[in-house]
Amino acid sequence: MKSRIESILLPLGVAVLFVLGWHLAVRWSGSDIFPTPKEVVAGTVELARKGVLFKYIVASLFRVSCGYMLAVVVGIPAGLLMGWFARARAAFNPALQVLRPISPIAWIPVAILWFGVSDLAPIFLIFLASLFPIVTASMAAVQNIQLNYIRAARNFGISGLDLFKKVVFPASLPQILTGLRLALGVAWLVVVAAEMIAVNSGLGYLIIDARNAGKRYDLVVAGMAMIGLIGLGLDWLVRRMESLDEVRWGISGR
Amino acid sequence: MSGRLRNILIGAILATVSLGFLHAWLNLGFDPAIALGFRKAEAGVSTERFRVGFLPVTCHLTCPVTDWINKNTAGKGFYEPVRFNGFPEIKESLIAGYLPATFMLAPMAMALRQQGVPIKIVYLGHRDGTAMMVHKASGIYSVRDLRGKRVAIPNRFSNQYLLLRKALAAQGMSIQDVEMVEMPPPDMPAALYAKAVDAISSGEPFMAQTELDGYGRVLYQAKEVWPDFISCVLVVSQKTIDQNPEWVQRLVDGIARSGMWLEGGMDHRMGAAYAVATQYYNQDPRLLRFVLSKPPDRVKYSNLRLARKDFQEIADLALEAGVLTKPMAFEEYADPRFSEKTAGATEYAWKGNPGGRP
Repeated sequence: MKSRIESILLPLGVAVLFVLGWHLAVRWSGSDIFPTPKEVVAGTVELARKGVLFKYIVASLFRVSCGYMLAVVVGIPAGLLMGWFARARAAFNPALQVLRPISPIAWIPVAILWFGVSDLAPIFLIFLASLFPIVTASMAAVQNIQLNYIRAARNFGISGLDLFKKVVFPASLPQILTGLRLALGVAWLVVVAAEMIAVNSGLGYLIIDARNAGKRYDLVVAGMAMIGLIGLGLDWLVRRMESLDEVRWGISGR
Repeated sequence: MSGRLRNILIGAILATVSLGFLHAWLNLGFDPAIALGFRKAEAGVSTERFRVGFLPVTCHLTCPVTDWINKNTAGKGFYEPVRFNGFPEIKESLIAGYLPATFMLAPMAMALRQQGVPIKIVYLGHRDGTAMMVHKASGIYSVRDLRGKRVAIPNRFSNQYLLLRKALAAQGMSIQDVEMVEMPPPDMPAALYAKAVDAISSGEPFMAQTELDGYGRVLYQAKEVWPDFISCVLVVSQKTIDQNPEWVQRLVDGIARSGMWLEGGMDHRMGAAYAVATQYYNQDPRLLRFVLSKPPDRVKYSNLRLARKDFQEIADLALEAGVLTKPMAFEEYADPRFSEKTAGATEYAWKGNPGGRP
């Protein structure tokens, strides 16, 4: 019980100190461009009253979940195959490592040329950003499976697709989930860059729109704060998945 | 796969689908086909609603104003104004064929044409409407004082860049005498406030904003250096000109008529400032009102027909600056047919929207 209260109080204390420091920093520097926490809260309330805050959150969540789900559907099988078949790994891994370090921002011009000014362009950027952590984690997960599991399974006469379904996939699940968690963070991270394309909704768009609107840096910071808070919520969701029994067996087996 | 994992997977898919519907409903007007991009992808030149690109700057003001007037007089507009945030994105959407028409920097349009992009300039966006601003507390009082200072311009393909070169040349200086940086116009006011740059030059309303907020001072207005300055032009793809010349004519007529309408009295300008700021630009209406009235000739929407000699001057300066790589004939990058037909155009017969004002 005590640790539970601590786990709420400690981060809350840090948050209070941070907001206080921010407020004092703005006051002492005398800046009338950078907003105080109070102004940011007022800006957020203004957005909520206008009804755009909810709309923008939905738009961003939709783009992120679409791009992310696509990356999961493509990335996990690709990673598993590359982890299992050495030849596939030898063939595709170099290409993967070439594409991996390219920032989604660099893909913006290409995304506009391919997908124009629809929702597809930001979804594509989010897909790209989240694909590589998933593929890499899935590949490494299969490579890291203890050989004992596979030997034991073979001794029991399990082979082919059954081996994959009953042993390889469950055994690599914990590490895949770590990749999924990382990828979700990255997907949410690129939402601002992805929405720099001419879409007209979303939290990233909110930030860019606020820059166009003159001296509305309270809305810029409000957008940043919303992205951060929702990111916290998403991470909490994925972390809950990691506590499932199915996922624990890989770890407890070690 | 175990039951719980499967549940999570189904939950994630359901969440994505319901988010898709919510997004379509809230942000895209009920149509999930558009949410997935299918509708937009096929909306090329054959459909009724053409898209016209613009930025929230006064150089492109006639784009939303024409749409606003048409919505109020005819019940609906005949094109879909699409707001962008920067010139690179506009340029890419035009090249990719997603925009049949857009407002764009004049030298950028000419340079794109030279690089083989099939587009034509058909009309002007506005006249003047550009300034060079410095910080109030700075010691910069003339163009000469810019020596060694950091000056921000929107883009190397902008006419503000050519304007700066012209202003420097008039003082016997060259572009090498200043440190030039490219910066998106919306970021310029804050950069000047923070003294990250010494001077900024772009289209309005971002220059006036520094004046309104009390830290900017005008070093020069465009017209003092370059009378009848042109910043942006209306560009249409060759495909649209070939396949839908009537629509191009309608667009050019609309821009011409709303330009005249904007010159038809201060109450028109103030009404437009409020409507555009709130419905199209998402800016504080105070800003556009200030730009369009103080002084009234800060931005002009008259004399927007294509004139060969204006473009010759831009082309010469662009060539000298290296923006163009070789001389180019007027006919190569401009199609003055549509502009010439606006000679008899009259301003929109509309008294404005009393309800559109506070």
